[in-house]
Amino acid sequence: MATTATVHQTKWWSGGKSPFNLEYGKVMMWYFLMSDAFTFGAFLISYGSIRFSQNFWPDPNVVFNAFPGAGHANLPLAFVSVMTFILIISSVTMVLAVHAGHKGDKQGVIKWLFWTIIGGLAFLGCQAWEWHHLITGEHAVLIDGQIDIIGQTTRANPWGDLVSNEAAMAALQKTPHETLVNLAHQSNHAVSHEQLVAMTDQQLIKEIKLDELHIRSKGPVAFGGYFYGITGFHGFHVFSGVIINIIMLMMTQKNVFQNRGHYLMIEKAGLYWHFVDLVWVFVFLCFYLI
Amino acid sequence: MSEAMNVHSGVDAAHAVHHDDHGHGHHEQSFISKYIFSMDHKTIGKQFLITGMVWAIIGGLFSVLFRLQLGYPDQSFPILETFFGNWAKGGQIQPEFYYGLVTMHGTVLVFFVLTAGLSGTFANLLIPLQIGARDMASPFLNMLSYWFFFIAGIVMLASIFVHTGPASGGWTMYPPLSALRQAGDGQKIGTDLWLISMALFIVSSLLGGLNYISTILNMRTKGMSMTRLPLPIWAMFFTAVLGVLSFPVLLSGAILLLFDRNLGTSFYLSDIVINGEILPNEGGSAILYQHLFWFLGHPEVYIILLPAMGMVSEILSVNARKPIFGYMAMLGSLFAIAILAFLVWAHHMFVTGLNPFLGSVFVLLTLLIAVPSAIKVFNWLTTLWRGNIRFTPATLFAIGFVSLFISGGLTGIFLGNSTIDIHLHDTMFVVAHFHIVMGVASFFGMFAGVYHWFPKMFGRYLNNTLGYMHFWVTMIGAYLIFWPMHYQGLAGIPRRYLDKSGWVSFNQFGELDKMITIVSIIVFAVQLMFVFNFFYSIFKGRKVTTPNPWGANTLEWTTKINPGHGNWEGEIPEVHRWPYDYSKDGRDFIPQTEPIGANESKH
Amino acid sequence: MQHPAFEEVTIHHHTIDDAAFKKKVRKTTILLSVITVIELAIGLLIYNIHKGENPSELLVLMFKGMVCILTLAKAYYIVSVFMHLGDEIRNMIMTIVVPLLLFIWFIAAFIWDGNSYKNLRNTYDKHFQETTMPAKHHKEEAKPVEKPTGKE
Repeated sequence: MATTATVHQTKWWSGGKSPFNLEYGKVMMWYFLMSDAFTFGAFLISYGSIRFSQNFWPDPNVVFNAFPGAGHANLPLAFVSVMTFILIISSVTMVLAVHAGHKGDKQGVIKWLFWTIIGGLAFLGCQAWEWHHLITGEHAVLIDGQIDIIGQTTRANPWGDLVSNEAAMAALQKTPHETLVNLAHQSNHAVSHEQLVAMTDQQLIKEIKLDELHIRSKGPVAFGGYFYGITGFHGFHVFSGVIINIIMLMMTQKNVFQNRGHYLMIEKAGLYWHFVDLVWVFVFLCFYLI
Repeated sequence: MSEAMNVHSGVDAAHAVHHDDHGHGHHEQSFISKYIFSMDHKTIGKQFLITGMVWAIIGGLFSVLFRLQLGYPDQSFPILETFFGNWAKGGQIQPEFYYGLVTMHGTVLVFFVLTAGLSGTFANLLIPLQIGARDMASPFLNMLSYWFFFIAGIVMLASIFVHTGPASGGWTMYPPLSALRQAGDGQKIGTDLWLISMALFIVSSLLGGLNYISTILNMRTKGMSMTRLPLPIWAMFFTAVLGVLSFPVLLSGAILLLFDRNLGTSFYLSDIVINGEILPNEGGSAILYQHLFWFLGHPEVYIILLPAMGMVSEILSVNARKPIFGYMAMLGSLFAIAILAFLVWAHHMFVTGLNPFLGSVFVLLTLLIAVPSAIKVFNWLTTLWRGNIRFTPATLFAIGFVSLFISGGLTGIFLGNSTIDIHLHDTMFVVAHFHIVMGVASFFGMFAGVYHWFPKMFGRYLNNTLGYMHFWVTMIGAYLIFWPMHYQGLAGIPRRYLDKSGWVSFNQFGELDKMITIVSIIVFAVQLMFVFNFFYSIFKGRKVTTPNPWGANTLEWTTKINPGHGNWEGEIPEVHRWPYDYSKDGRDFIPQTEPIGANESKH
Repeated sequence: MQHPAFEEVTIHHHTIDDAAFKKKVRKTTILLSVITVIELAIGLLIYNIHKGENPSELLVLMFKGMVCILTLAKAYYIVSVFMHLGDEIRNMIMTIVVPLLLFIWFIAAFIWDGNSYKNLRNTYDKHFQETTMPAKHHKEEAKPVEKPTGKE
């Protein structure tokens, strides 16, 4: 047996052995990731197709400019770069966990898996914050001749083109009292809410500083659907990756792999985790950079 | 991973399989683990086959029902009202019911019968047996694959019984119709269930496909190089690759459709007024769904057809007692078809508003498919040419497959040209084309496979006389049903229409429609006869007495007549030659396991 | 010699020693971080070009192309080093890389048709054109719009 194996050493395809020198599980994992790449590919390509079918698409720097705790400061891409780095770092810790598995170093596996899980959870936390911020955000938008205050949802998009001051002024005349109060409040924090409510529409309009409000027209509705759909699907992958990693951690702790004599499962979980990182690279590109 | 660990010695390594539950049949299995949650690839294959047959009866029955409407639009069939109540008020099929029937017929036959029932059955049965493996790479995922298929079937079945009826937007489920609940009864919960069922089906198909690929690549026995694989295995391999790469795209499309239906997104919807209500959706594109759908949908055609092609190649060679003509050309054409399958999807969309120039690129790519298809046809014919043919039912069905593939494939050249498609799209011509080339042809491949490998599956033969009746009635019937549809289509009769009486010019086809309906009922009855033959023969069929009843070269005939889990009792045999050494050097056949002789001529 | 659990695998010899491996990982991490920083810088550059008086579409497109190439480089390093595909034998690498070529036509056809859909609607659906064409191109609107530039 040993001699025939050496004879066939270079003939990878001649049967009786894996042509890749890999056990079937890893081969299956790779091909699964390949098919998952087509799922994500289809989403992103659909997004591209719709984006190319629109005359206008929001500039991501305008959409993603918030940072937790930084109030209304304009910090384009700051938060998403934090998210990206979290994912890169968690990928590195996963590499180290797999490497520790190669050496049969149980403690190493546990340590690095733990940090990977923390990284995954941190990423999910960031995503939750970002979604929450976008959905509950209050943006003045010119809709049907009047100003409305909306957030970024799957049904509405507040990131259209900037509206000229004349058009905005005309729209303010038709805008309901409550919205005006809200807008005036954004422009002038010094005046209390009760005082604002008591003012007439014209007084309120005087309070509103149009240059600061950046009133926009409606943007393409598809933006929200694709953003939430695709980042959500990616987030779901991160979530399932975290679950898988937790299971791996528990199995390691219970010496399952030690007794099996190899840590191949960790490698497969690692492949999945890196794939999640890989997808993020493209999500990052498609939604935040271009 | 320490290298010092217990490395198997030679004999051990051949015996030991990477799954510890693989046995040598010593321990008794319980009924549940043997027949229900079985991890034996042969049993799973049979499960796929029998489930597929159940679905085929259901789907076939649907077609008989709507054929009744098409053939006898004014007649009343009180028995229908007995069974279907409001769906067939006054014994006449109601429009919603008709659309539900058409949709379910397409869905069930394309996905459940010809995808799962065909490639699920024979990939499971043949891959480990023909490549020389104890089982699939992962028997557990293989079992899950069947059960996901089963659950998908249950969900689909449930959708037929919900109050508002099953999905009725056509098997392609195009939005905006399928995305709007307000559009009709079939667009309510039925469509959601349809989408969920498809998602489950995709999971099943992926689990199966990943298993097939890694088994074929990784688990071949010694000496079984890729160019010594029997052609069914190559066909299953490309089928699995097509499925693994294209089903996820349908999953994406289905998920987006679910979002549009339930979360108010606008992926596919824009500028819609329905029942006087203006919908807020804007910016979506209905064509996008069609792109996503057909990115799967076209490869799906080959997912259905390739296994049939592979099995037909094998059966023709075995029964003509001749080597397959042009083995490498067969491989090359399978490969070319698999590649082209991914590049031509928009030929289903020439008249949707697709960019005409883009359409012309798709025309070019589509017509290229004729090249590998023709190579295959000529190779089958030359394999038969001057062969010493044994006309078993399997052979007849295989020859029937070639006939159907030619006549159905030629009309594909008409439809692949966007200019002619402007006239022919969405007519009965299309129905005739794809039923012959993909539907009936694949069924013939499947029947050929069942007749040929039934002795391996159950250790008994199917009844031959019933088999010949089955073949001739189905063959003549299929042409009688679908050939006239070409004329109807050329005359402009649209597909999927419930009632054509509004068009005076179509009145001349009334008698033809009656004929088609009668023949389809006869053909359906004959399929029931086949089902009877199948189940009767499992228990009472003539027993197989020799391990290799067809005198075939491939490895599955080196096992016992009724192989247990693990397939070979001793070591897995080693392979020394390609599988098509028939009538060579004065010998009828030379099995793959026989070493090359000293004076043997080259093939 | 075979793998203890999988007879089809001859045992991998992990010849790379610990220190060399750690060094490789460190190098890749730094590389990925640097590329990301460059990408972010280009993103901000695009932002500033857009804010300017007459944003040059060509320049923006060029920078976006650069970001795409950098992303592909990132993907390459993740797959090749982190996922160890670079360490597998050639057969494996090819079976993963070759099917990805399908994406070329997948992307091209979808984008092409998306763009064509826009042109169709701009030609036949004046309402769509008026409501979605960005306002800053008002000056140019006198000319017939053949290739709307406002995809961003």
